[in-house]
Amino acid sequence: MFGYFADSGPVVHITSLPLFHIGPLAITNSIFYGWVCSALMCSLFILAARHITLNPKGGLIQVVEAGVEFIRNLVETSFEDKERSYKYVPYFVTLFFFLLMNNWLGLIPGVGEAFSVGGNPLLRAFTGDLNATLAIGLVTMGYVYYSSVKESGVKEYFGHFFIGSPLNPLYFIIGLLEMLTDATRVISLSLRLFLNVTIGEIIISVFSYLGGFIAPLTAVPFTLIEIFICALQAYIFVILSVMYLAIAVNHSTEEHLTDDAIPETINGNAKVTT
Amino acid sequence: MLILASTINTAIIGKGLMIGGGLIGPAIGIGIVGGSYMQAVGRNPEATKFLGQALVFVAIIELMALLAFASIFIVK
Repeated sequence: MFGYFADSGPVVHITSLPLFHIGPLAITNSIFYGWVCSALMCSLFILAARHITLNPKGGLIQVVEAGVEFIRNLVETSFEDKERSYKYVPYFVTLFFFLLMNNWLGLIPGVGEAFSVGGNPLLRAFTGDLNATLAIGLVTMGYVYYSSVKESGVKEYFGHFFIGSPLNPLYFIIGLLEMLTDATRVISLSLRLFLNVTIGEIIISVFSYLGGFIAPLTAVPFTLIEIFICALQAYIFVILSVMYLAIAVNHSTEEHLTDDAIPETINGNAKVTT
Repeated sequence: MLILASTINTAIIGKGLMIGGGLIGPAIGIGIVGGSYMQAVGRNPEATKFLGQALVFVAIIELMALLAFASIFIVK
């Protein structure tokens, strides 16, 4: 009995493996599946855009519309100034659908160890590769930094790290630490997505291995959890990047208190009249 | 101690300790987040709309657990 379990563990890959080479560039299985998913996504959205009407009928169009509407509301409520937020909506809608499609298409049967070319699995989820998620994180945070500098100006943008005057040494060090925290956002965003997708696949493979001949029964609950977690991770990636952008942009619209706005009694020189 | 290390595969013990210890903190953290959310809903039923924000904090904590899980692949 135990010999049956101990002979070989479940096959687990935590990195993507190369399929073929174009010149010096190795095309890995996750890049290949990413191309497939991108083609599917483009065709789906072109189809949806062709059939869009005032009163949509098909189920597919309504699902796409609900997703777009959901992210639009999310971006709108994060910003104080609604007119300003509309130009950021397209990027985040694209990001949300890209991550959602890639996460979900990585879970369908056949992706993973089912087909192999030259000993390496043919298909692998695009987001189950640290290089891919790091690229998505770098592009997103680059866009966030570019937009927040463009909205508030270079001086204002660097000023929002400091709670007081940067000439005060304590505030200066706190501001530097804030900048360091800011720089770790790319890593934390990409690591979270990569680890969730990869470890989900590992957990599914471990439990289908432990199940033996009733593998479909033991793997189903974890697959259902993964379907939920994949959608949640796409949502969280988007909401965190929207928050990072909104914090930097909202700061520039804040009205600064001047001495005229402070009532005299608070200012300390109120005249007591008797 | 050397005999013990040569007869028993100590990497497995290390992996067990690593994942067991690493999951204690995130488990407590997610419990606190969920408990606070339920408390807020109990006191003020209109606070149900903050479920999305609670899930964001769950995801931030979850990263620590996932890092503990991922580091067992480094130990040989």
